[in-house]
Amino acid sequence: MKKLATDILVIGGGSTGAGVAWDAALRGFRVVLVEKRDLTHGTTGRYHGLLHSGGRYAVKDPQSAIECIEENRILRRTHTHCIEDTSGFFVVTPEDEGDFPDRFQAGCATVGIPCEEVPLKEALRREPLLNPRISRVFEVPDGSADSFLATHVTVQAARQAGAQICVYHEVVGLLTEGSDGARRVTGARVRDVVTGEELVVEAMLTINASGAWAGQIAALADIPVRVIPGKGVMVAVNHRLVNTVINRCKMPADGDILVPVHTVAVIGTTDERVADPEMLNIEPWEVALMLAEGDKLVPGLSQSRILRAWAGVRPLYQENYTGDSRDATRALALLDHQQRDGVAGFLTITGGKWTTFRLMAEKTMDKACAQLGVDRPCRTAETPVPGVEQGYYWVGHRLHEVETERLQGDLVCECELVTRSMLEQAAANNPTVTLDDLRRDVRLGMGPCQGGFCTFRAAGILQELRMRTEETAPSNRAARPEEPAWSVAHMQSPRHAMHQQPATLAAGRSPLDNPNLLLRDFLQERWRGVTPVLWGRQLKQERLDELIYLGIMNIDHLPPDDDASPLTEFWQFDTTPGAGSEETT
Amino acid sequence: MLDLLIIGAGLAGLTAALRAVEAGLRVKIIAKGMGSLYWATGAIDVLGYLGGEERAVASPWERLAELDAGHPYRTLGDTRVRGAIDWFQQHIEPSGLGYRSADAHNLLTPSPAGAWRPTYLAPAGQRAGAATDDRPMVIVGFQGVRDFFPHLITRNLSAQGQVVRAALLPWSVLSEQRDRNNAQLAECVDDVHTQQRLVDALKLVVKPGERIGLPAILGRHAHAQALAHLQQGLKTDVFEIPTLPPSAPGIRLATALRQALEQRGVRVEIGMEAIGFHAEDGVIQWVETETSARPLKHRAHAFLLATGGVLGGGFNSTPAGRFWEVIFDLPLTVPQDRRQWFRPLFLDARGQPAFHGGVAVNAALQPVDATGDAIYANLWAAGSLLAHADPILERSLEGVAIASGVAAAEAVKTKSTAAVATMER
Repeated sequence: MKKLATDILVIGGGSTGAGVAWDAALRGFRVVLVEKRDLTHGTTGRYHGLLHSGGRYAVKDPQSAIECIEENRILRRTHTHCIEDTSGFFVVTPEDEGDFPDRFQAGCATVGIPCEEVPLKEALRREPLLNPRISRVFEVPDGSADSFLATHVTVQAARQAGAQICVYHEVVGLLTEGSDGARRVTGARVRDVVTGEELVVEAMLTINASGAWAGQIAALADIPVRVIPGKGVMVAVNHRLVNTVINRCKMPADGDILVPVHTVAVIGTTDERVADPEMLNIEPWEVALMLAEGDKLVPGLSQSRILRAWAGVRPLYQENYTGDSRDATRALALLDHQQRDGVAGFLTITGGKWTTFRLMAEKTMDKACAQLGVDRPCRTAETPVPGVEQGYYWVGHRLHEVETERLQGDLVCECELVTRSMLEQAAANNPTVTLDDLRRDVRLGMGPCQGGFCTFRAAGILQELRMRTEETAPSNRAARPEEPAWSVAHMQSPRHAMHQQPATLAAGRSPLDNPNLLLRDFLQERWRGVTPVLWGRQLKQERLDELIYLGIMNIDHLPPDDDASPLTEFWQFDTTPGAGSEETT
Repeated sequence: MLDLLIIGAGLAGLTAALRAVEAGLRVKIIAKGMGSLYWATGAIDVLGYLGGEERAVASPWERLAELDAGHPYRTLGDTRVRGAIDWFQQHIEPSGLGYRSADAHNLLTPSPAGAWRPTYLAPAGQRAGAATDDRPMVIVGFQGVRDFFPHLITRNLSAQGQVVRAALLPWSVLSEQRDRNNAQLAECVDDVHTQQRLVDALKLVVKPGERIGLPAILGRHAHAQALAHLQQGLKTDVFEIPTLPPSAPGIRLATALRQALEQRGVRVEIGMEAIGFHAEDGVIQWVETETSARPLKHRAHAFLLATGGVLGGGFNSTPAGRFWEVIFDLPLTVPQDRRQWFRPLFLDARGQPAFHGGVAVNAALQPVDATGDAIYANLWAAGSLLAHADPILERSLEGVAIASGVAAAEAVKTKSTAAVATMER
């Protein structure tokens, strides 16, 4: 069995795990990060994309609010290109309670969040679709974040500082030694879910950054950690109905945030306690609630074309808490298992929110340093990740580059302006196992047609890329890189992709070898996201996709094979009869 | 006054109009858009798959009886369905597109994903791709074309035993300009100089005995000439593989039908969305359209609804689970509960319930209510909006359109003859 020895083993490839790996590598530790699927496959890639100013917590949870505004300022420096500087409004609708706006203003002042009341006329000029019956508007420095890109570049930064990144590697066991009272975690047994090979990672310290899955990981060392999985449902509308983040000025509740993200607007979210973090089923009432609440911010939102609904599961943590997930704290939870459970060499970091991922990593590694008896200061707050020189993201950047470079003929996904070279570079530059990985990389299939045209094109292009790779490096596997280059900082840029050397796929077996599997998996994953919101015009679009994939392509009668990918296993989880019907606990 | 106003310019509406004018009716078509022929393969599928079977249907005529009792084919009966397909084949013949069946059986041709797809009448441009042909193939694409991937096709055809290889030609063979969709590329191939460049480039690629598969871009207006030019220049058979919309073979078929109608004096008015109607005593008086200029009332003795189902825009639906026919608000057999519309798997062999329902009709193709009575005395329906069928799943899209279009036109004719006879008495 292959063995790796490292200082720090990080379990989980969401924003927190990536942040911990980055922080640890910058402090000079040897780091290995393992993630059972693609980066951001879990909660990080399933949230609405709000970069909090802290305003949302100014009244309810001042400590969280302070963390948010401080991190907001830092991330604008360290992850500039992953952020759109949209600004944020807190609006008082006719339904919102009387004195909350004043408490909100006072709360912002207390914790240091810049907050200015905007004259109604000015607010409606900037956001003409806003509910005209809104009575007051406050502006705070909210933003819109690309959590896919941010996590990928954080990992790139970690890797440049020496970290080793293993995606599609699932922890199957924790290594422990010693007996009760003096136990110690010494690493993990990990399985490569693509090849099935196992390897052992020995580590001085193992950090459980698996978010909503933290309880399952800790259980491998018989440590009880009760994460409260709080499912949130979000709905994407096919226009940027607003260019500013819109929050309801009231106590946080369901469906009170509208975030402009790239080309769409996302309304979120619900908060339901569920039994399992993989339980991502969406109920009709959840969608109906989001649309009804959305109408209060932007009247007519529910009549727009709805693209997709999805759910993410918050990793809420509160010791001995038994109530609703909505009222559970959003604060980060750092569990020192030596102190708490008498198990050394093991920390769990969970709770928190995307905006505070860097701070969570800092606190975790401070604790790690203390346990390892070393004094190495955190450097992440002053260290920009690769690609920040691009400046803030702005919604027109792809169109601008496509037009100036005349790349219209190379568009694979017309909805999201993904070019052929962007797709090829993304596939070659970070481990790519499914088309869904490429969706997270370049937004393939995230627009109005939801993969109708680009799924086929991507499968065809990857097949050509594979053939080309094999022709240019015939039978000489040494000529091909063992591992992708992890150059992802510019993967959203059509111009940058165009100027790269032609892509070459890394060696090694991959589900990418089977285009039929890519097609099946991605179409099914898209189907899961669109069925909760299929009616009207989007239903017509879906029928066109059926005409394409059944009528024209006949992909339901491709030559049979038994291949499966990690994505196959993922969607089979909730298409198995009976799945999701259990009572939530 | 018109005898028949047809709403919808898809295959059902165009076919019905041709049959109606042939029967001596005064007829006109109004339609919101160009019709869904622009999206499809241009081949005539009659029945490709039955009941989730993995194997394609060998001959539709041996299997129609196995369809649901309410299926439009069962409503019409084998003889009329087959008669309509034969009628269509005769009437499309002057177009030169050369639609043929394989001795009354389905034939299998390559899909752009490399699956064998069953169809009944294939145009001349697609037939040389047949699975029964034992010659090897070379599938030729163009570098950078975004809708056609020879390596994907050859991978899957090879896995099914076909001797086939892939090749790529430079884009510049087709056009100097990069931003071109399939319909625009087809227009490039209308030019004999482009055809000659294609012949010269393909000569360097093709090996003796191979037939050549290309994306379906061999001419938009001059297809027959382009196909002949290539086959004579290359001394082998060339075939097209229809891919993503817009589809040149579909556009050719729509164009041929519209020209046939124009020659017979039938107007096809596009950009006319029907937004309302007026009925008195169960008889439709007029259908109203709204264009940018002014609202118009279209009066006729009879009306044929051929607006398509969900895809054509004939149906609409809401999150509350309401599913309705948009012009006459005809009752639909679709479940009025959104939780019953879809199955968990996209590729479920049973299809999606939301797409199986539609407008229920009687034996004369008149929309009926729950008790089986015609809702309007002078309204008929044809095409993919009919209930108890999922034409995309069954691969019966064109067959259902043609059979019901022809039958509806004939039913209108029968009724108008009877009315005249009554008046004369």
